[in-house]
Amino acid sequence: MSTIDAGRFDKTVTTTCGYCGVGCRLEAHARQGRIVSISPADDGPANEGHTCLKGRFAHQFTRSRDRLTSPLIRENGELRVASWDEALQKIVAELERIKDTYGPDAIAGLASSRATNEDCYAMQRLIRAAIGTNNIDNCSRVCHSPTSFAMRKSLGLSGATGSFSDIDHAEVAILIGVNPTQGHPVVGARIKQAALQGCQLITIDPRRIELADYGVLHLAPRPGTNAAVVLGLCHVVRRDGLCDEAFIAERTEGYEALAELLDAYTPQAVQEITAIPAAQIEQAAHIYGQAASGSLLWGLGVTEHKYGSEVVQLLCNLALMTGKIGKRGSAMLPLRGQNNVQGSSDMGALPDTYTAYRRVDDEDTAQLFEQAWGVPLRREVGYKIPEMFDAAVEGKLKAMYVFGEDIAQTDPDTAHVQAALENLEFMVCQEIFENETTKYADVVLPASAFLEKEGTFINAERRFQLVEASIDPPGGARTDFEIILTVSRMLGHEMGWQTPWDALEEIARLTPHYQGVSYERIGRAGCQWPMHPDGSDSPTLYDQYFDRPGGRGAFAALPYKAPGDAPDREFPLVLVTGRVLQHYNAGTMTRRTGNADLVDRDWLEIHPDDAKRLWISDGDTVSIRSRVGRTELSAKVTEQITQGHVFTTFHFPETRTNLLIGQSADVNTSCPEYKVVAVDVRPIGEQAAFTPQLETVG
Amino acid sequence: MSTSDQLTVTVDGVELQVAPGTTVLQAAKRAEAWIPTLCFDDRQAPFGACRVCMVAVQGAPKPLPACTTPCRDQMVIDTDDATSRRVATAVVELVVSELPQAPDPHTELGQIAERLEVTDTRWPGDTHHEGHDFRHPYLAFQHELCISCGRCVRACDEVQGAFALTATGRGFESNVTAGLNAGFEDSTCVSCGACADTCPTDAITEITLLDGVVRERSRNGNDPGRRKRRRIASE
Repeated sequence: MSTIDAGRFDKTVTTTCGYCGVGCRLEAHARQGRIVSISPADDGPANEGHTCLKGRFAHQFTRSRDRLTSPLIRENGELRVASWDEALQKIVAELERIKDTYGPDAIAGLASSRATNEDCYAMQRLIRAAIGTNNIDNCSRVCHSPTSFAMRKSLGLSGATGSFSDIDHAEVAILIGVNPTQGHPVVGARIKQAALQGCQLITIDPRRIELADYGVLHLAPRPGTNAAVVLGLCHVVRRDGLCDEAFIAERTEGYEALAELLDAYTPQAVQEITAIPAAQIEQAAHIYGQAASGSLLWGLGVTEHKYGSEVVQLLCNLALMTGKIGKRGSAMLPLRGQNNVQGSSDMGALPDTYTAYRRVDDEDTAQLFEQAWGVPLRREVGYKIPEMFDAAVEGKLKAMYVFGEDIAQTDPDTAHVQAALENLEFMVCQEIFENETTKYADVVLPASAFLEKEGTFINAERRFQLVEASIDPPGGARTDFEIILTVSRMLGHEMGWQTPWDALEEIARLTPHYQGVSYERIGRAGCQWPMHPDGSDSPTLYDQYFDRPGGRGAFAALPYKAPGDAPDREFPLVLVTGRVLQHYNAGTMTRRTGNADLVDRDWLEIHPDDAKRLWISDGDTVSIRSRVGRTELSAKVTEQITQGHVFTTFHFPETRTNLLIGQSADVNTSCPEYKVVAVDVRPIGEQAAFTPQLETVG
Repeated sequence: MSTSDQLTVTVDGVELQVAPGTTVLQAAKRAEAWIPTLCFDDRQAPFGACRVCMVAVQGAPKPLPACTTPCRDQMVIDTDDATSRRVATAVVELVVSELPQAPDPHTELGQIAERLEVTDTRWPGDTHHEGHDFRHPYLAFQHELCISCGRCVRACDEVQGAFALTATGRGFESNVTAGLNAGFEDSTCVSCGACADTCPTDAITEITLLDGVVRERSRNGNDPGRRKRRRIASE
């Protein structure tokens, strides 16, 4: 826009978007303490002068009337307004009481993938140093923790191997379990433009996503069968001589075991498992295998499965077999869901690692942080988020400090989460709005949104980017950084920082991968970790060697295994959940903007054939029942979804989509299986004399 | 210094090396020479429609559009050539003459008009008729301000890929529309706002900004359309 525009704004600040993991750089224009407009920064490395309706328009929530502007304390079952002093003293007294009575492991904290690196780093330090436990986790647990696990195992580092600009140079791009035009709109637009200019897209998804219309091939597997699809692609690549033999010999290890395993995954066998025609598997493998460059992009459709982390390892196999990694146009790009899902984990807000994934039970690392913080630190790994809920139900976990995550809305098996939260003796929520989770809180602290704070985010390309405040937190709300530092100080652990930039200095000093990262070094262009001693960054990883002992990429010989849930006579359809363009996750922010005028509810997408058999018409209210819960939604009859499957979003709390999701989770990382839930769908609202039973099993 | 894959050009007396394929406009930007543009946006392929970016090139019989003319080796460019500027000024004057009001100073058109000292127009004929569409929660059409530069349509196609906007009408009636005149919401629009971002006149703009402008104007009391606009914008 005409940012040449002076008279209308009294302040313009360049910052980084707080919605998805693309990391658009934005110019936030304020007048009289309110955001009046946001435009994309022309020099934003990830967005290059473009952004989406969330980044550009969905900012009015910052001055929504129901923003939390003063602390709240629960008294006789009701939350009442309290002073900061009273709220903080209550938190400190309760945490100290619980720590003295039950030990530090009875307390757990959650950092937020929506918050800055400095906030997350401060939060894990609060839990580790001030409380004395490793019970710290963040919401990447429920989205891309399998990606992190798998990429570390196969390649070495937890992050994309290249940059979004690789899409512009890729001859082929395979999109699996990701819907970028909805979830990551700016990357979605980039992929679409690349496709219009000749990049061959192959989309793999149970739904016919928008980009499928721009691709050369769309494969629609049964939910939960991604592993078989990728094994089938690898089988054909190997069978038809499309491997990069020199790359395999010089740069990798473990190929023999994989080769042996691949024999069984003939296109015909894969068709049996996935319902994808064998000829399409062959065609896809040929297109990818024959191209000079090819990138792989995936999202939660890959990770949020019982064997999600294994599928990411299998995707690494595909890239390693064909040598399509570590060079321009050949990148592995996990599209991270939240703005700082990369950073919150990089910062060590995880129960098993400090910054840059160095383990808590590694003696050298532990001593490094003990020295820096001046306190003894635990070597035992703490609870992951699902384990926190289990421990709370069992009565072992007594208190939680939840910062910027609506766990009662977004985590699976809502009934179990509620039971856990009810069982806690004490819970703190640090939030910008009251939500489903604050209903269980004993103290609620009013915090700040991304437009009101400073620090850094790390986007899905491993790029540190600056976040700067364009407006102040409203009323008595404070920045998360200030709140966490104050609580820590009152608990007796002084962190010794004035601003987030002091925290960033400590992070850079204690973490070789982030050496030299500072406000000045990040600047307007950002920098992609790992940083090198000469100050240069790493847009592309693994061009010379893999960051594993021995420097070789590791093949993983992992067979296909059935998902945790399967349709049967009682629950004949498979539910898949996901996002729409207009809303963002729990909808806390976007539901309080004009985006709600564009989309005001969640829908259940159902194929016309299934709808007909179930006597469901477009717009009908339907009941959806799974093995663990039931909810109601409006039906949208559409051919976007394949027969036997239904799809819904989870943006509106009244829907409670996650009531339906069970306890099945990724075997390595406990990331919940949001993507495969057997359900029964039937119309309600009328006194139907008879509801036909669905006969075919998807 | 000059290698086989570099071209040498001179912009307003400044010599520089550019890669083959560099346009005259890009070379001028590097030489920090100002060339007015209307239909040009860095994020889009050069369009060459508005004829405002005219420059003189030594040896060329008449002014050339800087945005679509590729540099040639040893090219000598004059961005401040009197004929070229007269063409550009006349074009801007013609464009402004079709508008019902002078372009707002914060718009790109307003700023170019100011810099080219186009304050009044010699052609007082008919002006565009008011046509407002404020149905979308964020995006507003003010059709009377459209100068048919095509930037919004190209942003929609080349940047976002939504293909929601279309140029309509001919001659004086030329304008832009979402879908088959369905409004943003009922077209394939994904509300990314790239059109409002690139629009040089506020023909497409953000409702919230419009509201601010209208509020300010109503204080000055010189905007006949304000009541209607305010009502719809605040709905």
